[in-house]
This record gives sequence, C-alpha cells and structure tokens, in this order.
Amino acid sequence: MRILDVTLKDLSQIFRDKRSLFFLVAMPIVFTLFMGFAYRGGGDEGETDMRIPLGWVNQDPDGIITQQLYEMLSKSDSVKLVELSPEIANQTLQDGDVAGVLLVPSGFSELALENPAQLTLTTDPASTPGQFLNQMLRTTVTKLMSSVEIGRLSAEAVGMLDDATEINTAFIAAASAWAQEDTAARVKIELAIGKKAESWYGDNPYNQASPGILVMFVIFGLTTSGQILLQERKSRTLQRMITTSMPAWQIILGHLLAMFGVVFLQEILLILFGQLALGVDYLRQLLAVLLISVGLGLWIAAMGLLIGVLAKDDSQVTLFSLLAMFFFSALGGTWFPLEAAGGAFAVVSRLMPSAWAMTGYQNILIRGLGLSSAWLPAAIILAYALGFFLLAVWRFRKSEV
Amino acid sequence: MKILDIAFKDLLRSTRNFFLIGMTLVAPLFITGLIYFAFGGLQSGNVSMTAIKVGVVNADTLTADAPLEVPIGKNIRDMFFDDSVKSWITASDYPDEASARTALESQEIGVAVIIPQAFTEKLLAGQTDTPILLLQDPTLTIAPGVVRDMVTSLLDGVAGGGIAFRVISERLQANGLTLDSASLPGLLERYSTWYAGFQRAFFYTPQNAALVLTSPVESGNSFQAMMGLVMAGQLIFFSFFTGAFSMMTFLQEDEEGTLARLFTTPTRRTLILTGKFLAVFLAVVIQGLVLLIIGHLLFGVHWGKPGSFILSLLGQAIAAVGLSVLLISLVKTSKQAGPVLGGGLTFLGMLSGLFTTNVKMPAAFNAIGNFTPQGWVLKAWKLTLSGAPLSQLLLPFLVLLAMGVVMFLIGAVLFRRRYA
Repeated sequence: MRILDVTLKDLSQIFRDKRSLFFLVAMPIVFTLFMGFAYRGGGDEGETDMRIPLGWVNQDPDGIITQQLYEMLSKSDSVKLVELSPEIANQTLQDGDVAGVLLVPSGFSELALENPAQLTLTTDPASTPGQFLNQMLRTTVTKLMSSVEIGRLSAEAVGMLDDATEINTAFIAAASAWAQEDTAARVKIELAIGKKAESWYGDNPYNQASPGILVMFVIFGLTTSGQILLQERKSRTLQRMITTSMPAWQIILGHLLAMFGVVFLQEILLILFGQLALGVDYLRQLLAVLLISVGLGLWIAAMGLLIGVLAKDDSQVTLFSLLAMFFFSALGGTWFPLEAAGGAFAVVSRLMPSAWAMTGYQNILIRGLGLSSAWLPAAIILAYALGFFLLAVWRFRKSEV
Repeated sequence: MKILDIAFKDLLRSTRNFFLIGMTLVAPLFITGLIYFAFGGLQSGNVSMTAIKVGVVNADTLTADAPLEVPIGKNIRDMFFDDSVKSWITASDYPDEASARTALESQEIGVAVIIPQAFTEKLLAGQTDTPILLLQDPTLTIAPGVVRDMVTSLLDGVAGGGIAFRVISERLQANGLTLDSASLPGLLERYSTWYAGFQRAFFYTPQNAALVLTSPVESGNSFQAMMGLVMAGQLIFFSFFTGAFSMMTFLQEDEEGTLARLFTTPTRRTLILTGKFLAVFLAVVIQGLVLLIIGHLLFGVHWGKPGSFILSLLGQAIAAVGLSVLLISLVKTSKQAGPVLGGGLTFLGMLSGLFTTNVKMPAAFNAIGNFTPQGWVLKAWKLTLSGAPLSQLLLPFLVLLAMGVVMFLIGAVLFRRRYA
C-alpha cells in the first residue's frame, strides 16, 4: 500500500538521524530521573535529623509565657530550635542555615496578659518549609495564647484578676492540659485510591514525574513530526508526489502514520523505562494506558502535521514546537500541580488535551482506577487530534495542492 | 574600528534570525508569562485558587443527656457551608461513605469529610477511637491540607473549651470556692468568642494576629520574589543559549565559505575572532537588559540594587561567552551543534538548579552548582534579588570572570588550531 510506503520512508529517515533519537529518548529519561529526584524532597537520605531548623530570637528571656513557648517548641518532632542573637538572625536565614526566624519581642509575656502581643515569623512564605513553619507555629501560638486566656478567665472566676501568681498558676495548668491533648489523633487521613496498592513499590515519586515528563517530551516530539513534511517540501519531493496519481489524503495519511509511529514508539519506550527502571506501575491497567497513549500520539501527530504545513524552515519548526511544548506543558500540569494555580489558569487548563492526558495517567497510576477512567480523557484528546488534523488538511490543500 | 564593524555586522545578522529572536526573547518571556498567569493572583493577595470541593458525610448525633445543644459534627459540617468560605470552598452533603468515595473517584470532590456516629459523645468522654476520616484525592496536596487545618482548628476550639472548664473548676476548688453554674456558661462563652476572634485574625487581619508573617526579601512581596527567581532561571538558561547559538555563525560561515574568505583579507584573524566574540557578548548583554526591563515592567520583578544587577549581568555575559566559545570549539558542523548545544546546555542548566529555583533540593545536588557557570550565575542573581550589596556580589563575579576567561582561552586556542 502506498500509504505505508510513505510511512516507512519517513520512519527510516527519522531513525537514521541520531540527533532526533537523542532528543526523543535520552533527554526525557534524564529529565525523568532528575524530576523524580527533586520530587523526593529536599532531605538527604543520610540525614539523621529531619526537623526544620527554626531560628529563636528571644528578647523576653525571663517571661513565663515565653519560657512556656520555648518548652512547647523544644518538644516538637518537626522543628529544631536554633538560638540566635538579633544581630546574626537575618544573615543566618539568608545563608539558609535556618528556614525561618521567630522573634519574641521584649516584654512579650507582660503584653500577652493584656492583649495584643505579637510574635514575628520571618520566612519565605512561598517555600514549603516556610509554609510548614507558619502553619505549625499558628497551632502552637494558638495553644499558648489559649492558655493565657484561660489563665485570665480562671483568675477572674476566683476573683483574683490582679494576682499575677494566680494567673500564672492557671496558665501553667492550661498549658499542661494542652500538652496532654492530641487533637491530631481525632483526625485520620486516608488516600482514596480505587484499590489498595497491589505492588510493592509503595509511595513512588516517579508516579508523578514519569507521566509528566512523558507528556512534556511527547509534545516536544513535534519537532521531529513537523520536520517530516518540511524536509519533503525543501527537497521538492512533496511537490513531485502531488503530481502523481496518489491522492493528497493518502500522502497526508502516510505522513501522519509516520509521525504517530515515532511518537507512539517514544511513549512505549518511556513507559517501559518507567515500569522497569522506576517502579511506575503502568502495566496494572495496560489497556487504559494504551488508550491514552494512542490518543496522545494521534494528537501530537496531527499537531506536528499542522506545524509541518505552516513552517517555512527548520528553525520555525523548532520554535513552534518549543512554544507549543511550553504552552501545553504548563497548562497541562506537567510543571506544577494545577490545584496550586489561580482560578482562571485552572479553568483554561481543564480544556487542554495535555491536562486530560495527565488526568488519564494519574487516574491509573496515582488514583488506582481502572479502564473506565481512561475513556473520557482519551475521547477528549482524540477530539483535539481530529480538530488539528482537519486544520492541517485544510491548510495543506490551500498551500500545496 | 574593524572589530566593531565585524561585531555590528554579526549582531545585525542575529537580529534578522527569527529563531534566535524567538529563543532569546519570546521563549523566556512566554514561560515567565505562563507562570505569572498561573500564580498572578497571589500578587494582589487575591488568592483565587481553584475552589476546593469538599463532600461531607455527617453521622454524628447527640445522646439524650448530652451537655451540648448541637453535635460537634454539625458544627464541622456547617463550617464548610458557611457564607464566609463560599468563594473558595464548594461543599456538598453525602448520605454515606460509599457515595462520598464514588464522588472522589469521579473527581466530583477532592476531599471527603466523614464524621462518624457518636463522635461528640466519644470526644467529650476523651476517647480517640472514632476519629474523623478525611478521604483525599491522592493527586491533591493543598486542598486536603486546608480541610485538615480547618477541622483540627475547630476541634482545638472544642478542646480549648474543655480545658478552660477543667482549669477553672480546679482553680476554684484550689481556692476553696464552689463552681457557680450560672456564671460558668458565660465564661465559656467568652472563651469561645475569644477563640473565634483569635482565629479570624489570622485570615482577615493578619497584620494584627498573634503571629505575624514577614518575608526576608528586600522589597516587593513574596510573589514578586518567586517571579524574580523564575525569571532569573529563564534569563540564565536562555542567555547561555543565546551565546551558544550566536556563536553558531562561526560554523555557518565556515560551511558557507565566507569565513575562509574573511581570513584572506588583510584584517588579522585575531581581530576577526575578537569582533565575533564581541558580537556574542553584546547579544547576551542586550538580551539580559531587555529581559530585565520587561521583567520589571510586566511582572513587577525588583532586581535589587543597580550595582549588584549590573555585576550579575556582566558576570553572566562573560560566563556565557566563555562557555559558548568552548562548546562551539568542540563541534565541527552546525548539524552537530544542535544536540551538543541544546542537550549540553539543558543538562548543565538542570544540574545548576535553573529548573528548580523554587524547590528545595538535597544539599549534595546544590553542591554540583558550584562547578557549573550557570550555578554561579544563579547564586549571583539570588543575592541580587534579595537586595545584597555590591560587596557580596564580588565573589560570584570573580568566579564567573575566572571561569569565563579559562573557558574562552581554551576555546580560542582550539579555534586558532582549527583555522591556522
């Protein structure tokens, strides 16, 4: 069949080009390893103390409330107090030796009894340790100030509101009661996965990194796809083929199949790499994975066809492909979780085929769902594939035929 | 001067290169723009994140002799339906855990809050064997965290009320007084009012809250700091890219034969090569300046003190030219240059932390950046963005100068041998 002849011709040209193979296979593997390493978290595996260091600048050393706060934080499993002087606190923070600095101002304990009294946490609120410190200290300060309020109310109830000793006694009693209280035990968190984990891989950071890099680099495969048609046009082979009796749609289909073949092969290689080397269980729902992968491959092939029709030279193909990769990758949630993005961005991203591809893979790998969860993502991606294909055919007819 | 003529000619040629313009200006601005679009709401404090979808299953009931009027489970349930959270929480009721799980699997909700039967009774009795179950979509991190914090905050309020009751009773007894049943509810009511106001301050008037959060950055808010780091990463990556692809003119002119013709002219080869290197240097500097200005105007990035950013930009340009000369000297044809430059620069950029500027990486990984020019440029920009004075930029600048000169000399020697 002549369609297959065109396809096989294109494939043999691509596989002779070592540069293309490098970008198609080697780079995504390296990136997957790198991003999985990053997702694993910042802690070194050899570290014995995983607590977040918190700088402690105490300008109220004799205050009873401050002493109680110090005791509460010292007993924490999640932060390690590092006592600092005010002069070096900022520099220590900038050097990264502490994740935040908690400043207890002078007279804090006295002020706290009268309200308001403020503690200052200096940290990078955009960083994960900074956010954790903020949240953790809010809970601790809430319990501390709750104890202060209970101390005041208790002193008022016994008619000794002016007696500092009575207030302190009640405060200490309340603080001790808080130390015994374990609210966290009253809330249990569970991941809702379709089935309990069958595999022995456990919590695997590559479950997120592998599909994300796969989608991103498959989109980058547009460069190879786009160049197929461009090379034919540059060498005037395309124009000669159009003069033959082979219908234009067969020429396009032949090229499309080649583009799909390359992209699909890339996907298979990355899936196998993920399965065998990284412990990502793609094979637990093989049909579902194939369904999404076929849809993704067809979409990329159709888009590659469109780029090939539109671009005038190699550099345009590369540029258009890169811009498409950035656009669809960012909006597809391969760079950062879409739940962290603003409302408008999240709304737009839900329309993107790349986001649906990620959803499809996440349904299988992270949510543990079955084949039925792949139908909708695959259908949407295929709809985009058809749309881009029709656009490419229309443009091809206009410009070449 | 011939050096300037050659430099100007090459620079002009670069500006007509659609691909180079796309990669030097369009691509970094496009990427930064996408991230700005994603997180731009943070700048104005208007955190318009995707609404959190919560499903609530409340099986909690009160016993006949319960001291409360309303079960705590209902308070928890009502918290998610309150008007004050409607703009960022979309809550739905579900009759049982099975229906909530189904909704989770079909992604109708992101978190399910399952409040068990007799929760209030067990809580007041001090038992912890019937906890509230939070079922979460495993791909989410923010929404489950927010819901967990809301539930534990409310439970802390209840616990605090219990502690207040116990402590007041103990202190009355210790002072030989009896518990006045008429005034106790008033005291507990005051505690509840205090607690609610205390918690509200964290969200609605953070500047008046008991714990005030400040950022260590010199100017601008934390969103601008984040955008600064993102833009710095893009600036560094694409500036090295610009340097390398600008140097490709060498290979292209060699392949086209114009370089050989240029060498036959009376102009010394050293002058010709210097002119070409100068063009690359100017291209990187101009690119940097344009991106810095646009970054400030469009994304509100504060680039720190003028002396510091000039030194960072110069160090970056010197290192970019040095590395470009070295890389191109190792490549024989423009066809080879693609994977060598593209792959090599991307790999180096990855190792230097350009793609993970806002991610905490292991210390061992961060140490790798000490051996790459991009790593030192990133250090310089981080210092600049944090408002560091010129004196702190001297070390990174000197290291970049040394690296740039060494790489340049090695590359220049290889070029001389090739074109001797």
